[in-house]
Amino acid sequence: MYKYLLCWRYLRTRYIALASVISVMLGVATMIVVNAVMAGFAEKMRDRLHGILADVIVESFSLDGFYDFEEVMARVLEVAGDDVVALAPTMETPGILKFRVGGESITRPVQIIGVRPRERARTGDFAEFLFGQDGLGIEPSFEVPERLRQQSPAGMRLRELEDQEPDEFTQAMRETLEHHVREQVPDQGAIIGYALGTFHRGNGLPDQYLAPEGTKIGLVFPKAGKRPEAGYDEFTVVGYFKSGMSEYDSTHVYVPLEQLQKSRLLLGPDGRGAVNQIQIKVRPGVDIDVLAERLQAELERLRPMYFRVSTWEQKQGPLLGAVAVEQSILNILLFFIIAVAGFGILAIFSMIVVEKTRDIGIMKALGASTAGIRGIFLAYGLLLGAVGSGVGMVGGLLFVRYINEIERGLSVLLKRKVFDDTIYYFDKIPTLVEPRTLIGIVAGALLIAVLASIWPAQRAARLHPVQALRFE
Amino acid sequence: MTSQIKATGLKKSYRKGKNEVAVLQGVDLEVERGELLAIVGASGSGKSTLLHVLGLLDGPDAGSIRVDGKRIDDAPERDRDAMRNRLFGFIFQSYHLLPELTALENVMMPGLIEHGLLGYWRQRRRLRREAAELLERVGLGHRLEHLPMELSGGEMQRAAVARALAGRPAIVLADEPTGNLDAANGQAVLDLLRDLNRERGLTMILVTHDHNIAQQADRVVRLAEGRIDEMVPSLV
Repeated sequence: MYKYLLCWRYLRTRYIALASVISVMLGVATMIVVNAVMAGFAEKMRDRLHGILADVIVESFSLDGFYDFEEVMARVLEVAGDDVVALAPTMETPGILKFRVGGESITRPVQIIGVRPRERARTGDFAEFLFGQDGLGIEPSFEVPERLRQQSPAGMRLRELEDQEPDEFTQAMRETLEHHVREQVPDQGAIIGYALGTFHRGNGLPDQYLAPEGTKIGLVFPKAGKRPEAGYDEFTVVGYFKSGMSEYDSTHVYVPLEQLQKSRLLLGPDGRGAVNQIQIKVRPGVDIDVLAERLQAELERLRPMYFRVSTWEQKQGPLLGAVAVEQSILNILLFFIIAVAGFGILAIFSMIVVEKTRDIGIMKALGASTAGIRGIFLAYGLLLGAVGSGVGMVGGLLFVRYINEIERGLSVLLKRKVFDDTIYYFDKIPTLVEPRTLIGIVAGALLIAVLASIWPAQRAARLHPVQALRFE
Repeated sequence: MTSQIKATGLKKSYRKGKNEVAVLQGVDLEVERGELLAIVGASGSGKSTLLHVLGLLDGPDAGSIRVDGKRIDDAPERDRDAMRNRLFGFIFQSYHLLPELTALENVMMPGLIEHGLLGYWRQRRRLRREAAELLERVGLGHRLEHLPMELSGGEMQRAAVARALAGRPAIVLADEPTGNLDAANGQAVLDLLRDLNRERGLTMILVTHDHNIAQQADRVVRLAEGRIDEMVPSLV
């Protein structure tokens, strides 16, 4: 019993020991905050990555794809019908985007993705990433609105003609202008990546649209065939794709699937086009890795060595892996902070043991055992660790809870934005506190505190009572 | 009458740097139950060492110690801890109270050491009451919640006397209990010990270099050159 009484008293009377608690506290708080923010970012990133890709993707090795995608989809449904929620055939090909801004022509390498927008929207968060020039969400559709035609130079002149008396001249004029409108505003719409169509000025200024709605864009892509030749097609910008992942926002161009099939000469004589991807959305709770393996085996039977089935996580493996590696390295480094705190406890404890030498002798004279004396200092270490990690945990959790308020305060204080939301497109700092991580951090801190007190405790326990009593 | 404590051939030496100093060189000592024995000797004669060896704070190099006919110096560590806790009560020259604890808690210390958390919880009222009674007995009833630094030297030593009795020991070992006190306070502590010796039948061994104090004991022995000489009080 005296152990608990004494270590409680020591805790309340030795303020120097509380100094070592502060370093434990700071270490624990830092680890909690950093882990929460990193986990928050990782979670958001996974969400976005997953939003772009469906759960499971069936691809052909060949870029030119396969015509019998309906059979393949039927086979998929046959194998895993209960687990599948939606399917979307897709044609993806690398290409080049070209459009004019003022007198300049802009050229960008892009990934051209032919989709049926409504089907694609059912397999992921595609629809939630689509925005108009006004920043508001739009329908997943490639329909070119009439107003874009009217706003084109030819369209405006056409409107001027409407007031005039129809005669032979205006009729001819009208036909020419209507022809020009179709040339200036192609019938096929395209949704382009937000970063492709805008210029980010930074410094809190709004992004500038290089390719506003109604801009005519040209796409160059390889045509099907043994000797790839460049194909070319024109589209009208009807919206922007903004997922928050700059890699996608600066390369993706979505166009109607059938139009891409036609332009790439992948429309069969029976009117069926080829696709090189089938995106599959799976019922929640299904193990997608198992499902992907099952589909792979089944499709192998349909056509050997032709299909590759992968989950979205496998497709994003390196990126997700990089985030995980980053987090674990940071954790190792931060854990050194707590280890340093451990050495602080060791040093201060050794000092306290020297200071308490005579008291240790007295307790031994009163019948305290070696183990009992050791217990005092181990319990004291544990108590210091518990106080440090307890306060650190509360502090860390409060910091995480109010991180956005703290960020705003810091921004005002430093007169510049600490967290520039345009870089990540997050309106606030995402955080995620995982109970497992929390328990791990606190347990680690406690363990270090106890480990650091073992040596001083052992020294105290080994003191010879007579020598301890004589110690001045 | 058989003696309660019987030490035979006690030897103890210390290393001081390169030299081996033989402090006890074959001490034979018998103490009767209820006796107040004073051990006198020049400083450095090994009085304290003898007391430490008798009270199991230190082990003898040779010889044996028996209490009530049972050998105690070769007992396992656990038993020796328990004997220090309940068989012996120690009083030191510089009081040796724990500075973080109040007078009451200091007196409760032997009880706190004896009992674990659960045992203490069950007996906390009894332990507290007994400690308070002891402090009352030594005249510190009004100082229960004071820290040692708030007490005078005489008060601290009286608190230490109360602590020595808290484990209900049969034998009290006092190492220069009046050494740090002025004459009046020293005499008060001595009177207290004398009274306790009589009213509780405690065996007491008192180490002192002050012959005035030694005179008040039942019997006085001198420790010189590592051996005991019997003396009668009147001859001191």
